[in-house]
This record gives sequence, structure tokens and C-alpha cells, in this order.
Amino acid sequence: MKDKLLALRDEALSRLEHSDLEAWRVEYLGKKGELATVLRGMATLSAEERPVVGQYANQVRAVLEEAFAARKAELDSHQATLREQAETIDVTLAGRISYLGAEHPLRKVIRRIEDIFVGFGFTVEDGPEVELDRYNFEALNLPKDHPARDMQDTFYLTDEILLRTHTSPVQARTLERRCPETPIRIVVPGRVYRRDDDDATHSHAFMQIEALVVDHGIRMSDLKGILVQFARELFGADQEIRLRPSFFPFTEPSAEMDIRCIYCHGDGCSTCKQTGWIEILGCGMVHPHVLEAGGYDAGSLTGFAIGMGVERIAMLSYQVEDIRQFYLNDVRLLEQFATLTR
Amino acid sequence: MKITWNWLSQYVDLQGLTPKQVAEDLTNAGIPVEYLAPVATGIENVVVGHVKSADQHPNADRLRVCTVAVGAAADLTIVCGAANVAAGQRVPVALVGARLPQGPIGKSTLRGVASEGMICSASELGLDVRLLPRDQTTGIFVLPADAPVGESIVEYLELSDMVMELELTPNRSDCLSLRGVAYEVAALYSRKVSMQAPELRTPPQEKLPLTVEVATDRCMAYSAQVVSGLSLRPSPLWMQTRLLAVGVRPINNIVDITNYVMFEWGQPLHAFDYDAIAGGRIIVRDAQREEALMTLDGQARALEPAMTVIADPEKALGLAGVMGGESSEVTANTRAVVIESALFDPLQTRRTGKRLQLRSEAGTRFEKGIDPAATLPALARAVELLCAYGGGAIASGPRLAGAALADVEPGQDAVRQVGVRAARAAAVLGFAVDAGQILSVCERLQFAAREENGTVLVDVPSRRPDIRIEEDLIEEIARLVGYDHIPATMIVGPLTGGELSRAQYLTRLATDHLIALGMQQVVTYSFVSPTVAERMRLQPDDELLRMIPLLHPLSEERSVLRTTMLPSLLEVAEYNVNRRRVDLRLFEIGTVYLPESLPLQKQPTERRVIAGLLIGQVQAPSPHGESRTIDFFDVKGMVESLLLRMGLEDKAQYTRSQAPFLHGGQAADIETAGSAIGLIGKIHRDVCANFGMDLTDAFYFELSLEALLPLVRDRLRVEDLPRYPGVSRDLALVVSRTLPVAELLSSVRSAAGLFLEDVRVFDVYTGEHVGDAEKSVALRLSFRSRERTLADDDLQEPMAAILRAAKSAYGAVLRE
Ligand SMILES: [Zn+2]
Repeated sequence: MKDKLLALRDEALSRLEHSDLEAWRVEYLGKKGELATVLRGMATLSAEERPVVGQYANQVRAVLEEAFAARKAELDSHQATLREQAETIDVTLAGRISYLGAEHPLRKVIRRIEDIFVGFGFTVEDGPEVELDRYNFEALNLPKDHPARDMQDTFYLTDEILLRTHTSPVQARTLERRCPETPIRIVVPGRVYRRDDDDATHSHAFMQIEALVVDHGIRMSDLKGILVQFARELFGADQEIRLRPSFFPFTEPSAEMDIRCIYCHGDGCSTCKQTGWIEILGCGMVHPHVLEAGGYDAGSLTGFAIGMGVERIAMLSYQVEDIRQFYLNDVRLLEQFATLTR
Repeated sequence: MKITWNWLSQYVDLQGLTPKQVAEDLTNAGIPVEYLAPVATGIENVVVGHVKSADQHPNADRLRVCTVAVGAAADLTIVCGAANVAAGQRVPVALVGARLPQGPIGKSTLRGVASEGMICSASELGLDVRLLPRDQTTGIFVLPADAPVGESIVEYLELSDMVMELELTPNRSDCLSLRGVAYEVAALYSRKVSMQAPELRTPPQEKLPLTVEVATDRCMAYSAQVVSGLSLRPSPLWMQTRLLAVGVRPINNIVDITNYVMFEWGQPLHAFDYDAIAGGRIIVRDAQREEALMTLDGQARALEPAMTVIADPEKALGLAGVMGGESSEVTANTRAVVIESALFDPLQTRRTGKRLQLRSEAGTRFEKGIDPAATLPALARAVELLCAYGGGAIASGPRLAGAALADVEPGQDAVRQVGVRAARAAAVLGFAVDAGQILSVCERLQFAAREENGTVLVDVPSRRPDIRIEEDLIEEIARLVGYDHIPATMIVGPLTGGELSRAQYLTRLATDHLIALGMQQVVTYSFVSPTVAERMRLQPDDELLRMIPLLHPLSEERSVLRTTMLPSLLEVAEYNVNRRRVDLRLFEIGTVYLPESLPLQKQPTERRVIAGLLIGQVQAPSPHGESRTIDFFDVKGMVESLLLRMGLEDKAQYTRSQAPFLHGGQAADIETAGSAIGLIGKIHRDVCANFGMDLTDAFYFELSLEALLPLVRDRLRVEDLPRYPGVSRDLALVVSRTLPVAELLSSVRSAAGLFLEDVRVFDVYTGEHVGDAEKSVALRLSFRSRERTLADDDLQEPMAAILRAAKSAYGAVLRE
């Protein structure tokens, strides 16, 4: 009996690899299989022999079941491999990418500058593009026939209504609306218009960003402090600036801010006309007449204002030579901004 | 404003300074020097030569063989091709080995004759020939007969003198003169200005009588004097070279002297032919109605009473401060001139100049305002130079009229007193300032000043009209101390939280969402052509026709303010389609301008509009099967997702649009709660064609940001998640093909009862299984209760009610 079991085990194991797995299982391990048949023959054995053979038979069953499981796992894995081979694709082919889309460079610059000033605690203000002479000029210390109006040739719609030539009328409007509230800390992005023929550096429409602070005890050194930090955030931590005296009717003292040339770092190049400096914005202490036009007491309050051209900063930042590029909207140019992360 | 270094050094001590240093310091003091370069560069070994003889070249008709003395032992033989060369002339000679801007000069042989150098033209010396008299530009540059033979031409013509171009801000009109620049430079280096004010002289005998009368308040001062015995000839070469260097065309001694003195003192002058003035009487008055004047440029000008003229008792002689008249022009026959030095109303001069489109160096100075203290010295200086270089003699006493000169002591600046407090200066600037510092700044500026009770009282001379209030003096202090002296400090004051307005925040949200949907942002001009109305097929009563015109547009193309974004985006599309970029998804959040009425009475409404234009394939090209052309529902899906993102959920309704620029069957107006928020649709094929594109599938949408603003959700309370499972039922209803599904859905929703959670259309079928005029709409209805799990029984009544409602309202039949 024992020998019979051993022979059965060896036969089964030797046939395992070449048989259909399920047929093999039925033949040897099934309810009517060989092992069961052998076990049924145990009835003829003596009471002493029966447990010994029974134990032996169970061992054989365990060996066969284990062999079956191993063989099944081997076959399954082979099947899976075959299936994956059949399903193999070229992973180097491009995916179904959707169009990327991109923000316009001028909007990108505006957003960055807004964010810098919001970080400084400034509120972003808007104002109308179609303005009254009063806010665009008169409230800003530019009475009618002031020669400085020549600096800004104006598109008029009527004698009194015009397209604003700068974002500064929003200063006048904000002061008038919020007087006598303090502090005023605003930043104003927006489109402005000048009656200039379009060329590489002029555009009849362009964008400005303006900042205004009015409060007790505001000093020109505070203006410089803000500008130093602004230049660092916009152009990099080691960005140097300088202020030069200038003139704007709505500020006194007035200044022009230069940054150390971002291309040659001061050695001199064509962008900075060999000076090592690039003019970037105008600023100054709010002129007493402007404060007074807004209803504030220029004797006890001071303020500063900053104004810059968005296109100029975009041209410098992205090395665009011609301002008209921003308004042509050639998607081959605009798409390049899709991959710019800030 | 251009000046030269040598010229400036005549009025202020520049010892120990270099032009480069001064240019830098002026720039840092607010007088930017835009340009700094020698009059001409790259010239070596060019000397003054004397042409002893000029003979015909033996082998060439057009060439002469000249013998030229150059101050060396031997005369040179030089072959010259210029027609104007002649024996006896003094000329610039480039010696063998010389350098000229266009290259070196060697020995050469021309048609068999050896030439030992070259006789130069003005342009070969690098001079700006546009400003030279014609006879000096066509051939060699003929020098005055007294030019010293052998002297370096660089020395003689002052070609190494440095030209500085100042870019003046409008407030610094004082620096429109060498006098003003001299004071500025003197202040920078604490030096003194040495500028003599010549005195007006009265001749012992009044040979040519002159009277002056001011009959208008638009002339504040008028001074004049007669100089006789003049001979019209070129001005001295030094004067010509200086005028050339600062960009003024030399004409003759009289004109050159008036220009020279204007640059020196900042006071424009005018010379009249004395014989043209009837009775020797000058009257300054307002022009009369229908008065005419032939101006110097040969144009007949119609005058208006708003203009000021210089006249004699019979006629107008010139336009005050703007341009002289032809009848009194100085000519070769002029034997005596009246020199005018006057102050005219800046505004009036500006208006007249603008009106007649005449701009001049003189006009610019009048507009910005002239220092009354310079009026009489300039007159005296011009008379002095006319006597010295024009052979003239004073023929009348100086005549003065007008209020402004009454209180001016000749040679003495009129003053205005302005006070400045050291404490205030420190408070504005942010660094310590004391009275001593202010006094020293005033001394450098050559302003008289004294301290009184903590205030420095400054006598600001009339040459600095820009200084009127305390802040102006504070700027002078900062300027001369140096802006680099200002420290960088932090604002002191309460903390404020920076923020965007709701509209700005929403703009950013929409921008980011559309970009994430693959759209490209553009920025376009607000001005469009009035022809867009016709190109957009607008009907005469369309309110989009109310485009505000500019009073003075730069071109017809950009002459009105847009009322819709469509033409702007179509222009961008056209530009790109022409460059073979045919898959476009463009958007702009821009402004349109909607007037209440035209002609414009008040500021128009400026509406922010989110506008998009889409053309081409729905997906970027990929190797995974065919893409397809974008269609209405692709675009509507984008709009819907944008509205969802902005918190508008299901509030928008779409109804068929009549917009003339959109496709009659594929366009919708978008509304919420009865008010229009935008539109969407396929662009009419003719409109595409009118914008230069042969396209059938171009789509446009626009949404009004202002209309969306009140609807936006900016608060959220999270709903509890449902505890019980939902049940869904599908239902196919056969209805008329023309029935808008939105109507069917709304009747389904209102009939379905409380348990209905959602209803969606998942298929619309037309074809053989339904009638020709019908369609089958397949709905998936989701039901849920918040209290319990719904049983089949719970849905019987709602489903029946839905069917009943759809049947009675639209004749809907259940599709089996
Ligand atoms: Zn550089």
C-alpha cells in the first residue's frame, strides 16, 4: 500500500509538467481520482496499519497539492506575460495633450507687480479710461494750457472728456472719495492713451501701474524704501537702484528711478546706452496741490506716488525689442509664455 | 537743448572738470545729458591751407591741379575734383597720413598726376551738412580769408569741442540758455558765474527815430533799439561753428547774432528791417478780425483777435513770439534794423503756435516763460555784437515799454521770496537737515537767503520761475545734497491688508480658468475702425453702432471706441490665420465703451467683457486618431464650466440669439434671472469673410463681468453628505424635433416632486425609429431622500407625474 502510494506520487509528479493542469488535478486529486481510489482501498487494511498508511497518504496528497499550486502559479504568470506582450504599446508616442493656453505677457507683469504691492499692504484700485479733464489734469496740478500737458498729447472725445493719459486720475478720484480717511495705500494698474504715432518704442495705447501712499509722516526715504524692496522683488535680491531728480507736475520733489542694468550689471551695454543704468519709473512726493484738490491738509499730511510703464518692464524682462509685439498678438510669440512659471 | 563745453566755459569756470564728469553730475542733479560727443571725431593732420593756384588737370576735364601752401617749407600739389576750388581760397587740407572720419588719406596718383593730400568738403570733416548753407555743401569747404595757414583744422573749427544735449524737464526752462546751465554747473561745484550783462547805450544823436507802444496786456514787456550801417554777410566762423554744433543753421550775421544771443541769454530776439516800419513806430496789439499777414515762410496767414501782432500804424509786421512777417524781413538791401527783445504771454504764444502749427526755438522759450531779467541784457548784447560783427552803429536810444520791465533794475534779478523750514525739509526728505545746510545750498545756487525764527527766507531770482513753494526748495536741497543721500526707510503707520477688489479677483479667476482650458490670452487696442459696423452686419438701429469717435484720431483705422470685443478678436484671428495658425483659442478680458448718447454728453459706461474666439481642431494634433473641428457645444461647454467656476451653477438660460454677426441657427443669448449676461455662437460666415478669413467654423462668446459680479458665489457652507443611497431611472421621451430640451427639462423638474436630485440628458436621437418631425430625448433621473432609502413604490408617482406633465405640455410620448 505504501509502495503503491509512493509510485502514485512519483507518477503524478513526473506527469505534471506535460499534462493539462485541470485534467491532471481530476486524475490525481479529484474525488474519483487515483489518490481517492487508493484511499478507498484502505478499508482492507488492518487497524494497526490504517493510521500509518492514512498519514502517509495525507503526506502524498499535500505534496501533490503543493506541486499543483506551484505549477498553476507558473502557468498563470506565463499567461499574464503573454497577455502583456500582446498589449504592448510604444510609450514614446506623444500623449493626447490639450492646448496649453497662456497669460499675455503684459497681464503677467501687471499681476506680478500687483502682487508685490498687495504684499506691501496696498489695495488694488481701478478707474475709468474715459476721463474728465478735471481728474486727468486739473486735480493733478496741470491747469489748462500748462506747458507740461505737451508731454502727454491727448486724445479728446469732447472738450472736457478725454482718454486718460496716465493712471494718475485714479489718485485724484481716490483722494476725493476717501478724504479724510488715512492711510491711503493703493496700487492702480490700467490702460492709458497718448496721441503718439506707433513705432518700436511708442504706442498710442499702453499700460501703467501707479502706486500712492498718503498719511501722516510719510517721507521721501519711505518712498526709497518701498522702491528698493520693489526692485528686489521684481528683478532679484541683489538689484541696485538709484534715484535722480526729475519733474512731474503732480509730485514735488520728483524723481526718476534707475535700476542697475540687468544685462551688463553696470559695465555698459547697448540696452543701457553704456550708462550701466536703466530708467524704469517716475516717482515723487505728492504735490501739495494734489493733496489739497483731494481735500486733504497738505500742511499735516504727506505722501508719495510711483508710476511705471508696464510695456517697458515687459520689454526689459523678456527682451522684446518692439512694443508693438505686445499688441500684434502673434500666437507664436504669446505661446512662449505658456511655459514661464512666474 | 544743446550746448558746447567751450561755449559754457565762457560763463563758468570749468577748470579741473571733464565733460564726462559734468555730464554725469548734471544727470544726477536732474538735468539729464542725453548725448555727449565731440563736434567731429577721427580727424588728424588736417590743416588750413592756402590755394595758391588751381590749374586744369592735363588729362581730366573735371579735375584741377592745385598748389597749396600749408605752412610747411614746401607747397603741396593736390588734385581736386570740386568745381568750387579757386586760387586764393583758404581750405581744409588733409595731409598725406591724415585721418578723416571715413578713413586715412594716403599719397595717390590721379590720371597721371601725384596728389599730396586732399582738399576736404564739410561733410568729409564730419560736419552736419544739413545745417550748412548750400554753397558750402556742394564742394570743398571754403574757410574765411583770415584763416591762419597751417593751423590744425580741429583747433580752428573747434571740432574737438564737446557737444552736450540736455533733456530738460518742462520746469527747467532756465536751462534753455547757457546762462541757466552756467548757474546750474556753478551750483554743482560751488563756483561763480561770470556773465557780464552789457549795458544799454544811448547814442549822442538819434539818427533813426523809433517809438514803441504796447496796446495789449498779452505783451508784458517790449524793448527795442535801432542799429544802422549794417552789411549783411556771414557771421564770424566761431559763431557759425558754435551755432552748427548746437543744431542751428547759420544764415547771415544778423540772424546768427539773434540766435547766438538767444542761446546765451534764453531771450528770443527778432530783427525787423527799419525801412519797412512806417513812421518808425512799433505798436504791439491784438490782431484785428480778418487781418492777414504774409509770414517769413511765404505763407499767407489769416489772423484772429486772439493773436498778438507787432505792427506799425499801417499794417502787421509779425506775429508776436511766433514768426516775423515777410514785408519787414532783413535782406541784402537792409541798411538798418530794429532789434526786438520782448516778453509775450506764454499761453497766447503757445496757442498761436499750435493754431498755425509753427514751432521754433523762440516759440518754445516764450511758451515756457522768459526771465524778465534777461530781456534788456539780451538786447544790449545783440546790439553790441551787431556793432562788432555787422559793421553797425547804434542809431536810436533803447525803447522800453510794458509793465514787467518797470520794476526791474537793469542787471538786477527780480526776486520772489519763498520760505523753507529745516524741520519740514527733514520731515519730507527723511534725513536730518539744518538751517546751515539750507543756507549753503542757497549760496551754491546764488540765491540770497537768511534765517529767521527757524525759517530760511530765500530770495529766488526770476531766472528760476520753477521755485514757488516750500516743496520746490526742499527739492533743491535734496538735489544738491544728492538723492543718493536719502536713506531707505520703512513706512511708519498702521498695518493694512493688501487686497484685490471683487472684480479684479473675478478677472483673475476667469483668466486662470480659461488658460487651464487651453485658451491664449490676448491684449488688443480699444480703438477700431468705424467700418467694423458694416463688416459685422450691424443694422442701423443696433446699439453697438454707437461707437464714440475720437476728435483727432491718428488714423481712420483706429478712430472710434469699440462697443464689442468681436472685431478686436477677429483682427487677431486674421493676423494669425494669415500666418497659417488655424487652430486658435483666443480670449481677452477687455473693455468696451457704451455711451448713453451721442454726441457724448458724459463719461460712457465702461464694461469689462470676457470674450473668446475659437477656430480649428478641438484637440491639439496627436497620433491617436483623428481630431475633429470644434463645434458649438465645445464652446458652450467652456462657457458653462467658466460660469460654474464662478459660482453660477445652473442659473444661466440660453435662448436663440438674433445677433446679426452670428449664425442664424447656432447662436444663443445668455441670461440669468431675465438679465442678459452675454452671448455665444458660430460667427456668421460673411463676417469671417469681411475680416479676411474664409472660415465656416469660428465661434465667439462674450460675458459681461459686471453682470456676473452680483451673481458670484463667494461663500460656501458644505452640505452634509447623503446617508441613504439614491435611485436612478432612465426615460426616453419622443417630442417635436423643434422643442428646446431646456423647456422639456424644466417641465420635468417641476413635475418630479421632492425626491428628484438631478436630471440629465444622455442622448438625443433622430432617425428611422421616430417620426420625421420628432426626436427622442433620453433622460437619466436621479432620486434620493434624505430620510430613508427609496423603494420602487416611491418612484411610481413621480415618474407618472413627469410623463403626464411632458405629455400635456409638449405632447411627449414614452419611447418603448
Ligand atoms: Zn547695460
